[in-house]
Amino acid sequence: MALGFTLAVFGGALAVVLGGIGSAIGVGLAGQASSGVMSEDPGKFGSLLLLVALPGTQGIYGFLSAFLVMLKLGLVGEALKSVSVYQGWQILIACFPVAFAGLVSGIHQGKVCASGVYMVAKQPKDLMKPVIMAALVETYAVLGLLITILLLSGIQL
Amino acid sequence: MSIAQVQKVQVVAHSGVKMEVLSALQEEGLVQVERTDFEELGLNSSSVDVYQLEHNLYRLSHALDYLSRWEETGFVKKLFIQKTQMKREKRKEALGFDYLSVLNEVEKLEAKKNELLSELKFLKKETEFLDPFEGLELPLGLLKTTETTEVLIGSLLVSRYENLQRISDEEGLWHEVISRDKRKFHLLLVYHKQERERIEQMLRELHFAPFYFKEPVQITEPLLSKTEEQDRVRDVIRKIDEEMQIKRKMLEDLEKEEKRLFEHREQLMRVHDVLLNEKERIFCSSLLGETERAVYLEGWVCSSDVKELKSKLQPYSEVTELYFRDPLPEEDPPVILENPKPGKPFELITRLYGLPQRGSFDPTLPLAPFFFLFVGLCVSEAGYGLLVALLSFLFIKFAKPRGGLLQFLKLLTLLGISTVILGTLVGGWFGFPVRPLMVLDSLQDPLSFLYLALALGFIQVWFGTLLSMVSSLKNKRYLQALFVQGGWLLLLPSLVLFLAKKGSVWGILSLAGAAGIVLFASPSRNPFARFFGGLYSLYDISRYLADVLSYSRLLALGLATTVIAMVVNNLCQTALGIPWVGWLFAALIFVGGHLFNLGISFLGGFVHSMRLQFVEFFSKFFKAGGSPFKPFELKSKFVEFI
Repeated sequence: MALGFTLAVFGGALAVVLGGIGSAIGVGLAGQASSGVMSEDPGKFGSLLLLVALPGTQGIYGFLSAFLVMLKLGLVGEALKSVSVYQGWQILIACFPVAFAGLVSGIHQGKVCASGVYMVAKQPKDLMKPVIMAALVETYAVLGLLITILLLSGIQL
Repeated sequence: MSIAQVQKVQVVAHSGVKMEVLSALQEEGLVQVERTDFEELGLNSSSVDVYQLEHNLYRLSHALDYLSRWEETGFVKKLFIQKTQMKREKRKEALGFDYLSVLNEVEKLEAKKNELLSELKFLKKETEFLDPFEGLELPLGLLKTTETTEVLIGSLLVSRYENLQRISDEEGLWHEVISRDKRKFHLLLVYHKQERERIEQMLRELHFAPFYFKEPVQITEPLLSKTEEQDRVRDVIRKIDEEMQIKRKMLEDLEKEEKRLFEHREQLMRVHDVLLNEKERIFCSSLLGETERAVYLEGWVCSSDVKELKSKLQPYSEVTELYFRDPLPEEDPPVILENPKPGKPFELITRLYGLPQRGSFDPTLPLAPFFFLFVGLCVSEAGYGLLVALLSFLFIKFAKPRGGLLQFLKLLTLLGISTVILGTLVGGWFGFPVRPLMVLDSLQDPLSFLYLALALGFIQVWFGTLLSMVSSLKNKRYLQALFVQGGWLLLLPSLVLFLAKKGSVWGILSLAGAAGIVLFASPSRNPFARFFGGLYSLYDISRYLADVLSYSRLLALGLATTVIAMVVNNLCQTALGIPWVGWLFAALIFVGGHLFNLGISFLGGFVHSMRLQFVEFFSKFFKAGGSPFKPFELKSKFVEFI
């Protein structure tokens, strides 16, 4: 039983860690690009912030999934639930979609945002266009989150 | 969902009233002036010279920029600042102000100030240089070569000092330490003239940095002018300080002067904008075709403005002639969107994607209700909605923004309202669900929410197909409209019902729809190619499926907001457990956490709802590529023309 619980916790942690890594790299890429642009034109801070913040959602999705896992295990508030080894594996695997989709899409969204930053440097009026481009990448993180949520809500403890 | 009718206007006028007519057009801002096709009409263009105007405009904006540091600061004040208003007819009067002399004053003052600042910087450097030698008691006049000795002051790195001492012991060199700091000794050296070359060579090897007051001149001009024979270093420093005091005083006086000039700022702003429009007008005149006595202007005007335009040009009716006609098929008139008031804010989304092509229609009204709903579902947190709606409403009320910003804030107000409604129904208020009012708890029952999201997606995709049928009908492609788009319209819902209920009626209807698509989707005349091409286009069903599934993001984003709001409240609960200051932490976490969540969920909701319009909805029926209507009008940078 303890092994099941551990596996489930591992799943939650994996969601946060991988989503966080993806977002950290993504935000980092966009942030570097925007610092370069701001060195020329400090007035663009506001609009660039939007693009830099965009790849940050994967980390939030991972965090959110981990919180759902904690709710499921009773780590928040109520008494701890007992988890069989199979259930532990199920919860761990349920965390995979958000974790891996978040890791990869976060990095790639960061690249799209970084090039979007360069675009805004030249065409300040077209801010929303790169934002939409970045949202196209984010779709897959959203879908990963969706499946993780549905899987988690489907697993009976 | 409409695009306003646009007409071509052609004006022929006597050359004498050219500028007056242009001025009237500019004041009204009803006409987009086009460049005359000079070659085809065999007309000349007048060359224009706006160099002087541009130069003055540059000087004005530079001066305004320079004076702007006396502006009132503070974020809130800047947020609510409003442009000065100015009557259109008073434009000429603004030029009565003697702005050139003010400009001269500002420029002179700026130059003087810059000079003072650089002098001050210089003097400061010099005192820094001299400071280490302040303890030297000898008058500078004595630091001179005598018949038998050389005198030198200078600095040496601490690590080299021992070497210097050794030279002192062995050679004819005497030294005294004036002061020392962390890195350097500052020294006075006296040595025999006979051994000068040898000693100086050794000093060079130690990287001794000599400091000359007199020759060989390394010393700077202003410093030299303040040194006299009997002065000690400390006297020189004192003199420099006095000098700096005087300069600082002068600087203060200049700033006072600047403040006085700042009072002219508003007038300068008026002059700037008046001249800016003058330049625009002159530039516009180069677009006109000219003969010896007449000018020819052509442009676009909104059909509903034709009457007004006529009445505005009435005073010149003796010497002008106006012609109006509908756009020719090969022309590409600019696009003006025309929507009822509540739909107006949603034009922002259409504009972002691109204006409709000629022959297409305005997708603003069809997308508005969906966008309204989707953002509400994505955020699904009534508290945040209330906050956003209230803040943007208050901002509209008090800061009175205009143009695009006003429309954006109106859009935010509407989306806030949508969020309040949907948040109450499926989410909560700041993370606390109000159960009696809820129709669906997304956390307990995510599947129902998913079905809702997919159903909404299905409706929008189906509606998009319907619109594409309408546009096919408009373009007289009846077979395509009736059998292919009609086939999809029939096939999609009946297939869903067939899969859900297994009723054979639905099965037959789906087959009928599919048959229409298979038989009419391909334009080929060869029956085999036609059949297989049609069969292949049936494969589009996978695209429809993918489009509908894409709407599942509504659930994911809605849940994300709800869960993060819950997490924030949970953390508050934990923080309340801390003795004494728990409530403070809890309050901070509550405010900060919910503001953060508000920010990311509105950003996500806005962007993803927009994507659903652009990728899933527009792809069915909408073709962008129209050019925006850019009327020749009064432009304003600093003042607002009323």
